Amino acid sequence: MSEAKLLFQKYAERLLQAARDEGIFRAISKSVANWRERKAKALARFPDTVELAREVRRLKENSLERLDELVQQASRTLEENGAKVYQAASADEAREIIGQLIGTDKVVVAAKSITAEEVGLRPYIESLGNEFWETDVGEFIQQLRREKPMHYGLPSLHVTREEVAKVLTGSFGREILPEASAEVRAIREFLRSKYSKADVGISGCNVLAADTGSAILIENEGNIRAVTNAPLHILLVGIEKVVPTLHDAFKVAEVTWRYCGFTAPAYLDIISAPSATSDIEFNLVRGASGPLELHVVFLDGGRRTLAQNPLLKEALYCLRCGNCLLECPVFQLAAGYYGDHGHLGGIGAIWAAYVTGSLAEAAPLAYTCLRCGRCTEVCPLSIDTGRLIAELRHTIVGAAGG
Amino acid sequence: MSIEHAQPYVPPVLHVISANIAKWGNPLGLRKRDCTSWADSLQIPTEGSIILHTGCEYQLTPYVQPLRDVLKRVKFQDTLLSTTSVIQRITKTIGLDLTKIFAQVSKRERETFDRLLRMAALTLSKLGVNFAYLKEELYAGALLYEHGLFEEFERQAYRVAEQFRKAGATRIIALTPHAAETLQQVYPRFLSNFDFEVTTYVSVVADALARSGRRLSLSQPLSATLHDPCHLARSLNLTEEPRKVLRAIKNLELKEVASNRELTVCCGAPGELIYPELSELLASRRARELADTGAEAIITLCPFCYASLSQGARLSGTKVRVMDFIEVLYQALGGSDVRG
Repeated sequence: MSEAKLLFQKYAERLLQAARDEGIFRAISKSVANWRERKAKALARFPDTVELAREVRRLKENSLERLDELVQQASRTLEENGAKVYQAASADEAREIIGQLIGTDKVVVAAKSITAEEVGLRPYIESLGNEFWETDVGEFIQQLRREKPMHYGLPSLHVTREEVAKVLTGSFGREILPEASAEVRAIREFLRSKYSKADVGISGCNVLAADTGSAILIENEGNIRAVTNAPLHILLVGIEKVVPTLHDAFKVAEVTWRYCGFTAPAYLDIISAPSATSDIEFNLVRGASGPLELHVVFLDGGRRTLAQNPLLKEALYCLRCGNCLLECPVFQLAAGYYGDHGHLGGIGAIWAAYVTGSLAEAAPLAYTCLRCGRCTEVCPLSIDTGRLIAELRHTIVGAAGG
Repeated sequence: MSIEHAQPYVPPVLHVISANIAKWGNPLGLRKRDCTSWADSLQIPTEGSIILHTGCEYQLTPYVQPLRDVLKRVKFQDTLLSTTSVIQRITKTIGLDLTKIFAQVSKRERETFDRLLRMAALTLSKLGVNFAYLKEELYAGALLYEHGLFEEFERQAYRVAEQFRKAGATRIIALTPHAAETLQQVYPRFLSNFDFEVTTYVSVVADALARSGRRLSLSQPLSATLHDPCHLARSLNLTEEPRKVLRAIKNLELKEVASNRELTVCCGAPGELIYPELSELLASRRARELADTGAEAIITLCPFCYASLSQGARLSGTKVRVMDFIEVLYQALGGSDVRG
């Protein structure tokens, strides 16, 4: 049997097994109900966000047209700010760059990053002999469960609190009650003991401004502030995240958090440089209380090729808010088993085809999409995934030889 | 060879569908008579400026579940011969024997859907809408487009457009959402001069009813919920038209499901060719959700939703029955039996 067919078959088996597991549907249904209610409230308080989302769509369209120019400008600015900048053509290159920066025998803490998941960062850094901890609560649960993240914003949305208690009790060696508050407290204690020991912090970002070199990271848990305060901070950025100005970046960020159901996030981290002080005779010294070094890795990984595709480039506008996944009928039954390389759902099929993936890997995802259009209905940028899927399937059929 | 450079795998069932459309004009290779015999007892002209286009979809509906059952058994047991389009060879290779599927479907089951087609024609007539139908009707090709078989789709679109032209059509009444969306929104992207006005059955009857002021009433009380077909609600934006008609029917109580209109949930039918089991799980879930409104019946406006939700209702053990909008309207107009 061909490798591509085997891949298809294995995926189909996993997908079906997940879809048959009624626990996943029950758990997701609860998350979906809560998410919808919170999002409706946030949008009711800030109704202008809908218009702002339209503006952000145009902004993403224009930014992608100027992709190379903006990445160059951002890189230059970040260097001027005192950061070290790297250009990774592929996932392999990104892993190697980051691996060399970290070395071995380090304690690494990481904020949830879809891009890190895309390049398979954690297993690689662990294989170099480092201790690596995910610090987003959902992602941490998934790490302990030895499972991949199941959703962009809610990585463990298919796991009930009883299952969380079970895995925490097993990992911490003491009984953790199946109550969300007790579980979060136990995770908090564990993670806080790691932040103080961390040598390296790794994060992604939601958007990056080319003019000031500022990355914006949206968060509520406070883990990103801790992670990005480690002595060495590595920022991994997909090049599609770059927009012209800091003002633009704010617009992207606001639409992102609002469509995730927040009037305002607890914290907004804006990072443009490593920490520094000029307090002694106004001499600039890098490394004050915060990180000594900031390393920014820009990842192509196929994004430039995708950006050249007149129709499919629309997939790169994605803000990763995850509304499409929560409202997708297949995702509601099978969670992130409808995905590959951290690319999830119908839009994930487009990413899997071009960004750190291949047509062979994307095919089973592409054929999973029902083209029902529910995702487009809830997407802040109205990405027409159904149309993209038809186009991707056309490419797949062509590559398969008719 | 690494997976990055491997040729992608495309399930060969797509080539069976495609070969059938090329040869017979529809995905399952129904013969001309199977597609048009529903109209035998009606005197509908075969040429005219307004064409009722069934797209063979209702005619295909009785075969949907037998096909899904076969595909569930076949799984991945094909050898990788998907590049050939010789239909018999593929049929043999993947065990997809269409004649067997046809044999399973009784005349009675086929008659159910032929009756719906006659009811569709009769409701239009009762409401004063004049129309013709095509003696050799073709499937509009939605499956080809949806599965990325664009070259095959374009050929089919060309054939369909030629038929419309020959019949002297200016306006098409598409009976089903898939055909309506395909003709109205996809054809113009593939054909340079597809200048027919495409409308849908439900909007035509809604308009005609509003003009005629006819009273609608069912002889027996019925509580029903409406399942908005995805493409009708989201691509064609027809969410109010069916409700206007149904709300006007005396003795019909409409119970809305929370996920309705633009947020309607897929019936599972689009997955049936590649992931038949998943398709059934989706159908069960949607049928249960609709049945939970407490309605006795689910009303839908798409034959594939009809087939999928019927199976979903069976599998989820709900008592709810599935009805087509056409038959509800027909009964509400006081229609009598319409055997062929």
